[in-house]
Amino acid sequence: MNLDDELRSALRRREPSPDFTARVLARVSMAPVMAAQRPWFSRPATRWVAAMAATLLLAAGTLEYRHYQGERAKSQVLLAMHIAARKLNRAQKKVQMITHRSNS
Amino acid sequence: MKAAAWLMALGLMAGLASAQEVKWNYDKLAAKASDSVDVSLSGPLLRLATKFLSDDDEDEAKVKKLVGGLKGIYVKSFEFKKPGEYTPADLESFRAPLRGADWERIVGVHSTEDGETVEVYIKNEGKGIGGLAIIASEPKEVTLVNIVGPIDLDTLSKLGGHMGIPEVEVDKKK
Repeated sequence: MNLDDELRSALRRREPSPDFTARVLARVSMAPVMAAQRPWFSRPATRWVAAMAATLLLAAGTLEYRHYQGERAKSQVLLAMHIAARKLNRAQKKVQMITHRSNS
Repeated sequence: MKAAAWLMALGLMAGLASAQEVKWNYDKLAAKASDSVDVSLSGPLLRLATKFLSDDDEDEAKVKKLVGGLKGIYVKSFEFKKPGEYTPADLESFRAPLRGADWERIVGVHSTEDGETVEVYIKNEGKGIGGLAIIASEPKEVTLVNIVGPIDLDTLSKLGGHMGIPEVEVDKKK
């Protein structure tokens, strides 16, 4: 057999086996089943839900911390004003006492 | 170029704002104190606190109005276990920064009975008050108050009748 015959033999058209179509269709129908068999955490929908949940948790945490900071700052303002007012009143009371004494 | 000018202006404004805070060094007293109160609020934290003050509560609404235009609130109070833990020199060091032309002592009272001294200073700014400083001392307590920004002393003193503080009648005649 010369080279031409060898090539012709190698490249000649071959018909697929009779069950070829059935096998391909079987594989195609199995594909979704295989996808469903992937771990739940690697599914795109799960990833989206997880990302959204993480974002919501982060936002809620930030809001909660901001609220805590605000409440703490508010108590500090009230405490500071309480102390300032008390000291101012002490000074006023003493001035009033001195004025009262000097008038009587 | 414009951005640089803005940045410089902002920096200058920030510098001016911080320059209004009285520079007191509390380290010596803090080291000896048995108990202390430290309130230091400025900028965003003070604005945040204002947002959390209620308009419905009478006392909080008053405080909200009072602190609305302030730039800073600094209060330090030190309590000591026994008298003599601080010296007159310590108090003098707190008076020193208030000797500038901006500051004016409006009240200075001392009681030999209970050893209490209260000094009230205001910072004159334009037509109004641009700040308040109080140095109050008792044998076992020293309190320093510095309020930066326009403060209404009348309203502040009226808070004395609320928040659990007994009100003191003040002669309004000037």
